[in-house]
Amino acid sequence: MKKVIVFLSISIIAISSVFATGAVEKDNGEVTLRFWYTYGEGEEAVLLDEVIPMWEEANPDIKIDCIRQDGSQYHQMIVTSFGTGNGPDVARIEITKTAAYANQGGLTAVSNYPEFDSLKDNFLEGPLSTNSFRGAYYGLPLDTNCKVAVVNTKILKDELNLYDVPTTMEEFFEKAKYRDTYSLNVSGFGDWDLYPYFWLFGGVLTNDGFTKARGYFNSPKSVDSVKTMIKLHDEGIFTIRDLDGSVDAWDGIESEYAMFFEGPWYNFSAKAEIGIVPALIPTFEGRSASVVGGENIAIFSTSKHQEAAWKFTQFMASYEVQNAMLKSGQLPVLKDMVTSPAVLENPIWSVYMEQLETAKARIPSPYTGDIETVWKNCMTSIFVEGADVQDQMDKAALELDAILSK
Amino acid sequence: MVYRMKNYSRRDLNGWRYCSPFVLPGLILISVFVLFPMIFTLRIAFSNYQIVQGNISFVGFENFKAIFTESNREFWYAYRNNFLYAIVTVPFIVFGGMIFSYLINNLKRGGSIFKVGFYLPVITSWVIVSLVFKYMFNNSSRGLINYFLVDLIHVLPDYVPWLLREWPANAAIWLMGIWKNTGWSMLIYLAALQSIDNILYEAADLDGASTWQKFRLITMPSLKPTTFFVLVNMIIGSFNVFLQVMLLTSGAPNGKTSVLQYMLYDRAFGKFQFGQASAVGLISSITIVVLTLFMNKTFKLDNQEVN
Repeated sequence: MKKVIVFLSISIIAISSVFATGAVEKDNGEVTLRFWYTYGEGEEAVLLDEVIPMWEEANPDIKIDCIRQDGSQYHQMIVTSFGTGNGPDVARIEITKTAAYANQGGLTAVSNYPEFDSLKDNFLEGPLSTNSFRGAYYGLPLDTNCKVAVVNTKILKDELNLYDVPTTMEEFFEKAKYRDTYSLNVSGFGDWDLYPYFWLFGGVLTNDGFTKARGYFNSPKSVDSVKTMIKLHDEGIFTIRDLDGSVDAWDGIESEYAMFFEGPWYNFSAKAEIGIVPALIPTFEGRSASVVGGENIAIFSTSKHQEAAWKFTQFMASYEVQNAMLKSGQLPVLKDMVTSPAVLENPIWSVYMEQLETAKARIPSPYTGDIETVWKNCMTSIFVEGADVQDQMDKAALELDAILSK
Repeated sequence: MVYRMKNYSRRDLNGWRYCSPFVLPGLILISVFVLFPMIFTLRIAFSNYQIVQGNISFVGFENFKAIFTESNREFWYAYRNNFLYAIVTVPFIVFGGMIFSYLINNLKRGGSIFKVGFYLPVITSWVIVSLVFKYMFNNSSRGLINYFLVDLIHVLPDYVPWLLREWPANAAIWLMGIWKNTGWSMLIYLAALQSIDNILYEAADLDGASTWQKFRLITMPSLKPTTFFVLVNMIIGSFNVFLQVMLLTSGAPNGKTSVLQYMLYDRAFGKFQFGQASAVGLISSITIVVLTLFMNKTFKLDNQEVN
C-alpha cells in the first residue's frame, strides 16, 4: 500500500509541475515576467541583444522571460491561456485582436494607471485608438505599419513604358490594359488584402463612429468600388491569387507583376538591385488609401505582477526601445519619432510613414472575426460565384449592422 | 450467510487492494482528461461561458437555437458535409482497402513495396499532404488537376477554382480522405486475409472455382468481421474530419465546405463562442453514439465478433 501512495504522490507532483503557472517570484523579491511575442528573427535579435539588457540594467529585480511564439497559432495559444491561466504577463498582440481580448476580460485596462494620461499624448492617434474599448485603453501601441506599393520599375519601364512610378492609378491602368498578363496582384479576399483597393476606389465600410453599415457599405460609391475591381480583373489587369491561381505576389513581382501592396516586412533592400522599390500607393480619382496594421503591447489580467508588467509595458513603448527596434524595421508609434531624421532619411521607412497619413484602421470591434467573415463571404460570392454586387452588399450591410449593434 | 457476505466483502476489498495500483492511475487520468472535460463541455453547451473569469451562466437551449437559425446556415452545411464525407469516402476506403490487400496478398514478389506505398499516406503529415493537394487543386494551369483536365485532355473549357467552389472543394476534401485512409484499411484487411485458412482455397481449386468465385465466396465472407470493424471506424472517423478542411478550404466558400469539428474550432478560437462550440461538439457526439448503436443493431456487430 505504501508503494501505491508513493506512486500516486509522485504522479500528482508530476502533473502539478506540468501545469505550474504564472510569473515567478523568488524569495529575494525578484520577479520574472513572461513576455510573449511573434517577432521574426531580426526583430528578436534586437530585442534580446539590446532591449532586454537595457531593461535589466535599469530593473535588476524584474527579469523578463522572452518567449517567441509561432505566429500561425498565436491567437489560439492566447485564447487557451485565458482558460488555463497559464499565459503571459505581457504580450505583443495584433491591433485587431485587442478589443476582442479586452471584451473577454483578458486584458488589464492601462488607462486606470495614473501615468497613462500623460503618456497617451506621446502616441500617434491612429495606433493608440486601436487599444480603445468601451471607454478604456487596454494596451499601448508598440509598432505600426501599413501597406505601400511594391513596384518593379524594370517591368514598368520595359513593358508599360512608364519611366517613373505612376502617381495615379488611372495612368497605371491605361498602360497596363495593353499588357497580356496581370500587372497588379492581391493574395485573397481577406480584409487586409482587399480593404486598400476598396477604399482606394471609393468604397466606405461604415459611418465615422463605426456603428452603422447600411447606407455606407451598400452605398452606390461602395458598389462602384467593387465593380471597379471586377472590371480591372476582367480586363486582365488585376489578379486575385486565391481566385485565379496566379503566382504569389512575392515571387511574381520579380518577373510578372508591376505592382502589389505590402507591409514593411517586404525585403526591399535585398531586391533593390532588380529594380523593386517602395512607393506611395498611386491615387485613384485623387485619393490614396491603405490599411493600418501593427501591434499593441498589453498586460494580461491573469498576471500576478501587474505593477511590474505595467512598468515593462511603458518601457517597451519608450523612445529608447522604439529607436532600437526601428533598426529591425518596426515602425515607431511615438509622435517624436515620426519626424526624426532616422525615419525621414530612410528611403523605405519614410514612404511607409507618409502612406500612414492616408491609411485607415479596420473597424475596431471585439467581433473582428465575424466582420471579416461577412466581408470575405460577400467578396467570395461576388468574385467566385458571380453574384449580384448590390444584392450581396445589401445583405452584408445588414449582417454588419447586426454585429456592430452587439 | 452473514459470514459468507463478510468473507465476500473482505475478498472484494483484497481484490481492490491488489488491483488498485494498476487501475487507479489510469482511472485518475481518464477522470481528469476525459470525464471532466466531457461533463464540463456538456455544461458549457447550455451556458454562456466567459473564459477568463470562468463565469458560467445557464442559458438553456440558446446556443443550439443560435447555431440552428443562423442566416448562412453554416451548421446545416457542416452537418450535411459530415454525412456526405462518410457516404462518399467510406465505400472507397473499405472496398479499396479490401481489393488492394487481396492483390498484394496474392503477389509472389514485391508485396512489401506495395504495402509501404499504400501505407505511406497514412503516416504522412496532414500539413504536407494538404500543401500537395493545394498545389494539385490550384486554380490555374499551375494546378495538376486543371492542367490535366483543361490543357492535356481538353475535357473542361476553362480552369476551375476548385477550392473556392462548394462541390469541387468538397470533392478535394473527400479525395484527400480516401487517399489518406485507404492504406490503413488495406493493412487491416491484409492481416485478416493472412488468417484465412488456405485449405478453403485448395478445396475451391479442386472444385474448379474461378478467381472471382474464390474472392466472392471465400474471401469476402471471411472478411466480414474485418469489414464491420473498418466500417465502424471509418464512419466514426468521418465525424472527426477536421484538419483537411482547415488546411484546404477553412470552410470556404461561405461555410459550405465546413464540417462540425472545424465549426467547433472556429466558434471557440475564432469567435470566443464557447457555448456554441460546445453545442456543436455535443451534437457531434450524440450523432456518433446514435450511428454506432444503429450500426451495432443493423449489422449485429457483437455477434459478428463472437462468431
